[in-house]
Amino acid sequence: MTKTTIPVHLDINGDHHELRLEPRVTLLDALRDRLGLTGTKKGCDHGQCGACTVHVDGERVLACLTLAAQVEGRTVTTIEGLAREGEMHPVQAAFLEQDAFQCGYCTPGQIMSAVACIREGHAGSNEEIREYMAGNLCRCGAYPHIVAAVRQAALEVQS
Amino acid sequence: MTVHNIRHGDASDGAFAEAVGGRLSRVDGRAKITGAAKYAVEQQLEGLAYAVLVESTIASGKVRAIDTTAAQAAPGVLQVLTPDTIISLKTAADWFGTPPPDKPYCPLARDITFSGQHVAAVVAETFEQAVAAAALVKVSYDETPSIVDLSDAKAGDGIPIDAMTKEWGDAQGAFASAPVRICAAYNTPREYQAPMEPHGLIARWDGDRLTVWEPSQWLDGMARTYAEWFGVPFENVRLVSPYIGGGFGSKALALSHGAVAACAAKMLGRPVRLVMTRPQTFTGYGGRAATRQTVTIGADAQGKIQSIVHRGVNETSIDGMWVEPLGSVTSIMYATPNFSSRQNVVRVNSVVPGAMRAPGENPSAFGIESAIDELAYEVGIDPLEIRLRNYAEQDPHAKKAWSTRQLREAFAAGAERFGWSRRSPEPRSMRDGNQLIGWGVAAGTYPVRRAYGEAIVRILADGSVEVESSSIDMGQGTYTILAQTAAETVGVRADDVVVKLGDSRFPRAGVTGGSRLAGVMTGAVYKAATSALDQLIGLAISDPRSPFHALQANTLVAANGRMSSPRGDGPDLSIAELLKSVGRDHIEATGDTMPANSTPEDRYKNYTTIAMALPHTEGDYSRHSWCAHFIEVRVDEDFGTVRVSRVVSALDSGRLYNPKLAESQWKGGIIMGIGQALLEEGIVDRRHGRIVNNNLADYLVPTNADIPDIEVISVGIPDLHSSVLGGKGVGELAIVGVAPAIANAVFHATGKRIRDLPITLEKLI
Repeated sequence: MTKTTIPVHLDINGDHHELRLEPRVTLLDALRDRLGLTGTKKGCDHGQCGACTVHVDGERVLACLTLAAQVEGRTVTTIEGLAREGEMHPVQAAFLEQDAFQCGYCTPGQIMSAVACIREGHAGSNEEIREYMAGNLCRCGAYPHIVAAVRQAALEVQS
Repeated sequence: MTVHNIRHGDASDGAFAEAVGGRLSRVDGRAKITGAAKYAVEQQLEGLAYAVLVESTIASGKVRAIDTTAAQAAPGVLQVLTPDTIISLKTAADWFGTPPPDKPYCPLARDITFSGQHVAAVVAETFEQAVAAAALVKVSYDETPSIVDLSDAKAGDGIPIDAMTKEWGDAQGAFASAPVRICAAYNTPREYQAPMEPHGLIARWDGDRLTVWEPSQWLDGMARTYAEWFGVPFENVRLVSPYIGGGFGSKALALSHGAVAACAAKMLGRPVRLVMTRPQTFTGYGGRAATRQTVTIGADAQGKIQSIVHRGVNETSIDGMWVEPLGSVTSIMYATPNFSSRQNVVRVNSVVPGAMRAPGENPSAFGIESAIDELAYEVGIDPLEIRLRNYAEQDPHAKKAWSTRQLREAFAAGAERFGWSRRSPEPRSMRDGNQLIGWGVAAGTYPVRRAYGEAIVRILADGSVEVESSSIDMGQGTYTILAQTAAETVGVRADDVVVKLGDSRFPRAGVTGGSRLAGVMTGAVYKAATSALDQLIGLAISDPRSPFHALQANTLVAANGRMSSPRGDGPDLSIAELLKSVGRDHIEATGDTMPANSTPEDRYKNYTTIAMALPHTEGDYSRHSWCAHFIEVRVDEDFGTVRVSRVVSALDSGRLYNPKLAESQWKGGIIMGIGQALLEEGIVDRRHGRIVNNNLADYLVPTNADIPDIEVISVGIPDLHSSVLGGKGVGELAIVGVAPAIANAVFHATGKRIRDLPITLEKLI
């Protein structure tokens, strides 16, 4: 209920952004509406679906439950920043190969979760992957292929 | 019927992956996995304003007053729309194209018939400002009693829908004299499509031309509705929907929130974005109607069916009509000499229900596929055997031959792979520690709906191929299979084909629903591509500047982007070189699947209504896809929790245009079926008629942790009565029969028959 904006400095995918935002602006809306980084999706805006998963300092967080101002001085990575010099991350490549998505709307969140899931050491078995990927909903029902993709990428990343 | 040259082979050869039937990875995949794919409401437009809806908090009554003072005064607010301030629209025709009543249409309601109805909207400079101001709109009501749902004492028996009546023989008489009789009632609750992308749009006016960026399963149908609402020519409305974040039936029609956004954009003279909140998606459009069925089967002592009497009821809204055809599977799955099915609809204070994956067939199959299982136990034979004993050799209702029906093959392949012969017949006879194990089987089916589509295929100067169509890809793989179709037909690599979809300026297409799009659009692209290639070959042979001119050949062969003579003598040129030699910068052809004598009016009607869709029993054949699901559940004996631990499904979708993508859709349908069986249920608050669990934490859809390995087996053969290239339907089929297979498995595990979805633990303990 205020017109007051505050300066917010964001480090996203290695780029520095200086914005003036109302304090109530979420990281998700800052990414999508202010910075044009629409790869991060809004599915529920309540932390229930996982579509907005991004990395803050390398850990997966829900951008819809994070205020933009909270991540000042921290490193944010979104799906747009995952590929390095045009080369797809092994998780991205595995998602394509395993057909681990259909409509593609939950996919950026799934991939960001999967990268973190592997980094956390939670991709050792199909059961473990199912559990640690359970926070990312996929209504098209790509789950078995997501598990296969995470398993494949985990082997590649670890080797 | 023309028989086209179709390659049948396995998909192991890499080059073949690019042709129709190959396992090509999604051509739009890279855009989706890198975040580059821009969905409809993600367009970055200059001057964009943000709208947020205000919804009714009562289910029945009238809006007495709307106090917008505080909202108007809130920071950044540009306008507050109410029934009194929004511009007036005309009523649009329904999806059949039935001429509408000549009366105004207001997308904001004064008369309230359900909780969650749109009553106002706030438009502001930022999304945050609009959200904050919408909370300041004060609506007062004169509330009247509401009919909460089908179980409400005020609901009554409803309205008979005579068009749903299917009867032959003497069903009641045959039942009365049958040696074995079963009768049971089966209920399914409200279910929601819950696509991950919420409904929303951006609307922008340029003079009297409207552009709408909106996720859409039907660009031309929705463009027509917008045009009729605003009284502008159809050509003045452009729908853009490049990617769709899931639809499952819910994104085929222009809805009131779209009208609100388009009105706001017109009134403000600025583009307006309106996206429903997740809770609003539970009442902004209809999910699957709650249903009630009774299935009565009379059989002989060997389990051979003599009579089926079926009665169904589905809910609809107070002022809208939705019929969920509950007798659709009941009437065709099994051979029966005597049959009766009738259906009523009951009005309740709900948003009008809508299409959700396999509307009709899905709940219908829950009834008949549970009941046949009950009959199997009643007569003491195997649930698979009873299905074979009553196998319908022709369509029992239409009395026509099946175009193709690989259901026997599906039962055989699924049973073999699942290990069905090792099943112990008695309920509660298989266990692992404190887990009761149950094995269930059920069949599913979905009709082959056929409509029309058109496409342009261009062969460009650089030898690449461009395909354009206003059809869409919501994850089924349209981009990919149309690239494969054009690549194979023209003779280029799939990499050299660019498919452009999701823009109503492109050649038209009917609705993407009822699993019809792939068959329609591969047909249209095949015809357009054939015509373009014929033109190119004609030029190559006849143009004096062409290196092939001297060859005096009557045809040429195109492969891998090169043109040569059939015998391999003479020149061998790239398509680019050939076009250059004859001085052309491109070749273009349009193809469609319309009858040859179609008028422009026919075409308009075909693409903007569903009035001209062909019945699946048109002509000599009855056309359907078929499947058989074999499912294992594990039920915790102490807590009644049910886990699906194994699924093997064998499916007949005819020829698969891309098995990799079809398998994904099948598994997706099975997973939605697991949700339907065990998790999904819209819960209504009986005091205010609200959907209590209107969010993704309380309306439970399956998570990764709920889903086991799923094996799918294709048993289809090309069906040229169903489509130009031999495919039947894929997307809707696989959900049909999953819920009864699970209910049957739960009975086998526990000895308890649950006839009321979802199968939750309190029903088992």
